[in-house]
Amino acid sequence: MAETFATASISLQNLTKRFGAVTAVDDVSLKVESGMLVCLLGPSGCGKTTTLRMIGGFEEPTAGRIFIGDETVTSLPPYARPTAMVFQSYALFPHMTVYDNIAYGLRARRMPRGEIEKRVQDALALMELHGHEKKSPPQLSGGQQQRVALARALVTRPKVLLFDEPLSNLDAQLRVRMRGEIRAVQKRLGITSVYVTHDQEEAFSIADQVAVMNAGRIAQIGAPRELYRQPTDRFVAEFVGLSNIVAAELVEHSASGALVRVFGQTIRSRRPPRNPGSAVSLVLRPEALRIEKTGGAGVPARVLAQAFVGPLVRYTVAVNTSTVLTVDLHNPGPDEFFAEGTPVTLQLPSEVPALLG
Amino acid sequence: MTGDLLALPRRWSAIRRQRVALVVLIAFELGLLALAGTQLVQVRVVEDRRELVGNVETIYFRNEIVGDPPLLILIVLGTLLPLASRQLRREPVLLVATQAAIVGLITFVFWPLAQVFVEGFRAGQGAEGFSLIQFEKLLETPMVARAARGTLVIGVTSAVLSTVIGTLVAYTLTLTDVPWKRWLRVLTTLPLVSPPFAVSFAVILLFGRRGLITYDLLGITQYNIYGPHGIVFVQLISDIPLAALILAAVFASISRDLEEAAEDLGGHPFYVLRTVTFPLVTPAILTAVLLTFINAIADFGNPMLIGGGYQVLATQAFIQMIELFDLQSGAALAMLLLVPALAAFILQHWIANRRSYITVTGGARTGHIRKLPGWIKWPLFGLCVFLAAFNILLYGSIFVGAAVKAWGFDYTPTLRNTYGLLNSLPMLRNSLIVSVGSGLLGGLIGILLAWLVTRQRFPGRGTLDFSATLMYAIPGTVIGIGYIIAFNAAPYFWTGTFAIIIVAYAFRRLPVGLRTAVAAQKQIDPSLEEASLDLGASRLRTFTQITFPLLSRAFFAGVIYIFIRSMTDLSAAVFLNAGRTQLFTVRMFRVMITSTPSEAAAFAALLIVIILIALSVLSKVTGKSFVDLFRV
Repeated sequence: MAETFATASISLQNLTKRFGAVTAVDDVSLKVESGMLVCLLGPSGCGKTTTLRMIGGFEEPTAGRIFIGDETVTSLPPYARPTAMVFQSYALFPHMTVYDNIAYGLRARRMPRGEIEKRVQDALALMELHGHEKKSPPQLSGGQQQRVALARALVTRPKVLLFDEPLSNLDAQLRVRMRGEIRAVQKRLGITSVYVTHDQEEAFSIADQVAVMNAGRIAQIGAPRELYRQPTDRFVAEFVGLSNIVAAELVEHSASGALVRVFGQTIRSRRPPRNPGSAVSLVLRPEALRIEKTGGAGVPARVLAQAFVGPLVRYTVAVNTSTVLTVDLHNPGPDEFFAEGTPVTLQLPSEVPALLG
Repeated sequence: MTGDLLALPRRWSAIRRQRVALVVLIAFELGLLALAGTQLVQVRVVEDRRELVGNVETIYFRNEIVGDPPLLILIVLGTLLPLASRQLRREPVLLVATQAAIVGLITFVFWPLAQVFVEGFRAGQGAEGFSLIQFEKLLETPMVARAARGTLVIGVTSAVLSTVIGTLVAYTLTLTDVPWKRWLRVLTTLPLVSPPFAVSFAVILLFGRRGLITYDLLGITQYNIYGPHGIVFVQLISDIPLAALILAAVFASISRDLEEAAEDLGGHPFYVLRTVTFPLVTPAILTAVLLTFINAIADFGNPMLIGGGYQVLATQAFIQMIELFDLQSGAALAMLLLVPALAAFILQHWIANRRSYITVTGGARTGHIRKLPGWIKWPLFGLCVFLAAFNILLYGSIFVGAAVKAWGFDYTPTLRNTYGLLNSLPMLRNSLIVSVGSGLLGGLIGILLAWLVTRQRFPGRGTLDFSATLMYAIPGTVIGIGYIIAFNAAPYFWTGTFAIIIVAYAFRRLPVGLRTAVAAQKQIDPSLEEASLDLGASRLRTFTQITFPLLSRAFFAGVIYIFIRSMTDLSAAVFLNAGRTQLFTVRMFRVMITSTPSEAAAFAALLIVIILIALSVLSKVTGKSFVDLFRV
């Protein structure tokens, strides 16, 4: 188990899936380099699970092709594909022991008994499941079931691992621990993985690359930092974190950046707008805004609501009658609490990574 | 997976192995079809004419086709149709399963029924072309016209009455706080256990000319139970439990939350009943009406025993087919039965599909007990107690009747009546062979179809499901007639074999096996099967290692259900069995007509005991209580 896998890249080419009149996946192309973990992130119904199920072979694409390594697998049934999936419900066979569950894929491949024994023992060791092999799945805790599911998938040495919201049945703390374990195992084995989730934090903490999906399309793909700092459209900006999106007036732009005016302040963008002719807007992250007592230079505003959530205070402030912004104040000092209705001054960042639109 | 069976070289790519496997499979199937073709369509050389020229006689021969070319064409089409699906072409096991299901349904559901129509529209034996002469002939016969009217009257009357009473019983025993509910539920369900005609037999024991109640207790000699009123009466006894079961399931599933929400929104109890509760049970009431209607018009045994010469279509068909051997008018009569039954079924299917609310209430609080005022509650309770007591009386009379010298005359206990049974052991064996066989076959097909229908997506899936369920609506009489017409002549000669009865029963009760399996299949998380496929197990391995073990209870439940229904069937049996394959129910029926009541009672008692044993096994297998066993 310790040796690295004969893993392979995944390539989706113009993948489309229609269910009747509904287009679940719309012309998706994606390349997952060998050994990488890519997250498909999006709200429910965005097509992320359907995309994953097409890679696994459970749904047949209406159009497009799927490659694993150099081989096209588009027309292969699931059992002929070098993929292994970890299911949302784990799908552990209730009438088999933990050992039999893990050995299932090996027996299906008619492997010699000794080899099966060795591989299952390795998998049990890897997932720290020793002592549980005689139990039946319902006797295990959620986290243990999750480990069995992962062991069962890994033991067949797939070229590609697929995760379908594998942590959604666990409680919040276990979720954080298990995603660490999954990432550690994936990195150690260097196995190409596709991971579906609707949880932005989970996606960012586990993935090399995140593909944000919306209405059957990939809205943007990139490293977590890149997505967060330079969202290319409004949907991504909103989905990957609470965002204030405000309209801006383009003052000047060049190949190396742009200047815009927002609420009477000038802000520099490190990237030029993509369509300089049309209206531009920009993302003001709640944590990039500062809130101060009135008096200094800045944008006058009024506090509408404040919510104390432990490490930060979240303010909702009105800049004018039509614009309401969210401002996060981390680690607030004693004089940084502002009651509802208090007039305040807002400090905008002097620079943003990019503009929207 | 076929790739593995064929041991195709591993170095070939998966796609190449897949293609080769498909080609081999199709070649194999074509071979099978060709073989079937030579059986189904045979060319026989027959003498056409002779000509005498001088002293040389020339004999001309011509080729005559015997067999069923249309069936062959349908089978070929049924085999080719699934090949149109890209998904099926890639998965040989799925392909074969779908083809088998389609061919099976064509051959054993569609074809016999079509034959009833073909034969019914034929002018006479071997005549060509379309003709309405059979119907004209039949309707001109006063007996048949009367029988048609009688069937309709009996069907409507018993359907309406049994649904009304069944609804009251179901309501009382599910949603009110009357005492003894457990026992009342079991006792009111009792008539579903026995062959239907045992009910009329028991009624005759109690109310007949020398009936225990009418003659011995009340001293009435003028009362005559024989006739249409008698038929309706025994139909009620068997159909009230059926209607009650259907409605009890729905009453039990109505979410209390819905009614509370309605009350919370300001609805008075009666307003809630009218606007929420009643609309929720309407589809079930219609289902009950239609199913009891089909039951009543299709029944053969009861009218024969208690009709006292009053003819219904089922008995007329029997006379035409078996006694007069007029295939065409038998078929025409069967059509007269089939059309209303099919219409009722399609209507019911349509309603149930359009308006089923039962699934909405998963996880909600159900089966809430209503507090009713005493003047409503106690009469309802009385009704249930009366029915329960009556059923005890009915079945008691059968067992007592079996143990006395001569019912109605001499009530001394004796074992004499068992002698008749000993002579009938071969028929009992025949019935057991047929029932076990059809149970296994029907259970297996049910599992296979359920898996196809719930788990696979392919064009025509709905049609497959519908045609399998269709058999539910077909009167046993019609099935018997259809199978005789379809498989009697060359090239089958199946009449008089166990095979034809087994196949007929398996497909007739298929809906039961199918429903049980579908319900169980829906309980299983689809990702279990997907996980197995994903781990590299073939479709076949997934089915045998994952699907079937998880469905085994449903399978055995289906087997036993079909076993029980087959053991108690009479209406198809009278057409399909022959001397060597005579069935126990047919023998029992003859004994009831020709022998003393006490001898016949021994037969009925033995059959009931066998069924009770089967039911207790079923109860063990499914872990369900006795009453729930009948909920399919």
